[in-house]
Amino acid sequence: MLHVATVRSPVARGAVRSITFPRLPTGYRAILPADIPGRNRIASFGAEIPVLAHERVSYEGEPIALLAGPDPVVLEALVAATKVECEEEEPVLGWESFSSDQVVAKRVAIVGDPDLAFSIAPEVHEAVYVSGAIDHYYSEPQGAAAAYDYDKIAIWCATQWPYHVRDSVALALGCRAEEVSVRPTRLGVHLDGKLWYPSLLACHAAIAAVACGSPARLLLTREEDFLYTTKRARSSVSVRAALGPGNDLSAMDVRIALNVGAYGPLADEILSQAVLASTGAYGCPNLRVEGYAVTTNTPPLGAFGGLGASHALFAVEAHANRLAAAAGEDPADWKSRNVLKKGSALITGEPLREEAPYAAILERLSLASDYRRKHACYELVRKRRSGKSDGPLRGIGLSFAYQGTGQFLSGDRSNAYSVEVGLDKELKVQIKTSAAAGGGGVLDIWRKTASSALGVPLANVRVASADTDESPNSGPSTLSRGVTVVNRLVENACAAIQKRRFRDPLPLTARSAYRIPKPISWEEGRVRGSPFDTAAWAGAAVELELDPWTLDPRPLGVWLCVDGGQVVSPERARAALRAGCADALGTCLSERFDPSGGKGKEDQYFRYGLLPLNELPPISVDFIEPPRKSPVKGIGELPFDTVPAAFLTAISQAAGAGFSCLPVPSSQIIRAVESA
Amino acid sequence: MTLSFILNGEDVSAKARSVDRLSDVLHDQFGLLGVQSDCRSGRCGRCLVFLDGRLAPSCLLPAFKARGREIITIEGFSQTEDYRDIEEGFKEAGVETCGFCEGPKIMAAAALLERRPRPTNSEILEFMSAAPCRCTDPEALIRAVRSSAELKARRRYRRAGQ
Repeated sequence: MLHVATVRSPVARGAVRSITFPRLPTGYRAILPADIPGRNRIASFGAEIPVLAHERVSYEGEPIALLAGPDPVVLEALVAATKVECEEEEPVLGWESFSSDQVVAKRVAIVGDPDLAFSIAPEVHEAVYVSGAIDHYYSEPQGAAAAYDYDKIAIWCATQWPYHVRDSVALALGCRAEEVSVRPTRLGVHLDGKLWYPSLLACHAAIAAVACGSPARLLLTREEDFLYTTKRARSSVSVRAALGPGNDLSAMDVRIALNVGAYGPLADEILSQAVLASTGAYGCPNLRVEGYAVTTNTPPLGAFGGLGASHALFAVEAHANRLAAAAGEDPADWKSRNVLKKGSALITGEPLREEAPYAAILERLSLASDYRRKHACYELVRKRRSGKSDGPLRGIGLSFAYQGTGQFLSGDRSNAYSVEVGLDKELKVQIKTSAAAGGGGVLDIWRKTASSALGVPLANVRVASADTDESPNSGPSTLSRGVTVVNRLVENACAAIQKRRFRDPLPLTARSAYRIPKPISWEEGRVRGSPFDTAAWAGAAVELELDPWTLDPRPLGVWLCVDGGQVVSPERARAALRAGCADALGTCLSERFDPSGGKGKEDQYFRYGLLPLNELPPISVDFIEPPRKSPVKGIGELPFDTVPAAFLTAISQAAGAGFSCLPVPSSQIIRAVESA
Repeated sequence: MTLSFILNGEDVSAKARSVDRLSDVLHDQFGLLGVQSDCRSGRCGRCLVFLDGRLAPSCLLPAFKARGREIITIEGFSQTEDYRDIEEGFKEAGVETCGFCEGPKIMAAAALLERRPRPTNSEILEFMSAAPCRCTDPEALIRAVRSSAELKARRRYRRAGQ
């Protein structure tokens, strides 16, 4: 087995003039873009990313060549000794204000008459909220292996989307898709960090295997992975809101700028999701939203648990808390009045078809967290405070959010889902779907579904591996689709078998494919239609205090209340949401990353880390009992949609100042407390 | 250089260069896949081993440090009764891990229970932070380690009574 190492661009933007390799020992080989037998491109949601950058580079660390050989230690030394000469150009790193050349996706939506509403509004409040890049910190580093297997090239990698890997490798090798077999390896917690990037590494490994005629393995070091692979997109959301009579929300003007790094591989999708979420949980009769996805010369930035919606929900929720404060009301009261109600006009022009259960969520949250009393007390303490040593520096924040259930909004073939279920003569059931690559507890949910639908013991049900040779395409494993879509398909396929079971002899096989429900009609770029068939609703409260000496925020409790429809496995869902809350809290406290590169980037790798478990507060998760026949909804992203805004509000109350980014820099907290 | 040491209860020897990390030697030469050089900075916990009974990140140890010492990896530890108690405790508490951090978490739990047979919640979470991962519910981990401690204590009482 040969090892493969990546030669990377030393500059963020420029033209590659030459690559000079040291003398390569026998058995070692350099691979350049010219050695790629097929197309030097992989496609992701309409964007194209070079497999190996040729002539021009777009971010520091971009792969420009590969070295293959038997010893990884020797390879490391060879990569270090390789000289890359580039004609460096000034990198484009600005994104909060940007030029039209940088825009790769744009959305505009206008509802009602926002100009008129703003002109007559007695009060207008404006703020800009910034979210930073976050590392996915997945369980296993990115990597891929490739080898000839008789008449195919076999690929092993941990991916959320095996068919994307297959198609990308086929394109890079210039062969038919059927000649590539992807055998997904175990996937840990990915938070959407393994949607498209494994395809790039699989192409590298496959090209090396073909060029050297030997099995090849490419495994990024954690440091390489941290510095040069995809992260969460950065966002700057400017919210201008007008309060009308009775201090109700009368107009909003939202401008979203998403920094999607180089090439913008998921720009369309995350921008659509962000724009859709731009009014958050609130109904607003007059609205203008502009959304821009902007490329810069940083590594590609994109999805992270929440696929774009979390950027907008964070900003709107934090702003709603400011509006409540400006109106002199408890945020709970202000929010209760202004949340979406059945029939409220949505940003897409459609009315909300179901009742949003925010009143019930608020009641549960208030009871569990004692929100109202604590908020009133901390407000009183804040107003009477005369210095940082005067009274406890505590705060509590509340936020609402939703998670749409359905398909991708970019309208490409990633919306294709298919599941095959087989029942053999020994009453053994096999479920085949490429979504099995996502792994995790969802596999047990499918097994339980099949077991109860076909009346066979659970031990008889098995989920086949997600090999592209064996399992049908079920799109990427993301947006809780394993539960919301694939589980439904398993149910349908089992029902089809059950119908034929006592008429036809065993073995029986049935296939079920996803059909887009009728009400969904997302019109790309126009923000019209109704993109989700249903939504899960949630609210969170976060309580914290500032350390009296260091002023570091110390969370005291997190409460999450969810209306997730029929929860297939409540205990498992509760555990997953608690883990999600812990991660979301980490992004508020300790996970800070600047992907701009340059000097000091290695230090960031050593400084970056998850929040230690012993610094976590108690986390409570509660479910609202759904009405009968309520559908299964996706809930996995709700902690990332709710916790950050509640945290920001809590820390703002504790410090007595309005913050607008997370993690809040210590210097800002100290300044705020000292000047309070 | 050739190193001799005790690995999972057996006398072994390995060839290593001065630049080799202990984790690489264990993984590559002995095929111990439970030891991984992941972050190479001692933070991810994927390379945890017991070195003379103490929990240590083997990616930070030069291979030559193993000379004459006793090393137990998750493969060796999985043959012990302590492992079975912890495994059972994790099962009882319904802990679901991503699979990658399960070995390190079990090793961390074992190290904790060796030092504190009745650990507090905060001690449990502190030790479990040796294997950071986004996958695990902290509450389930507390339940798991408490239940493991219970099982281990019960087994010891039983043995003492025999």
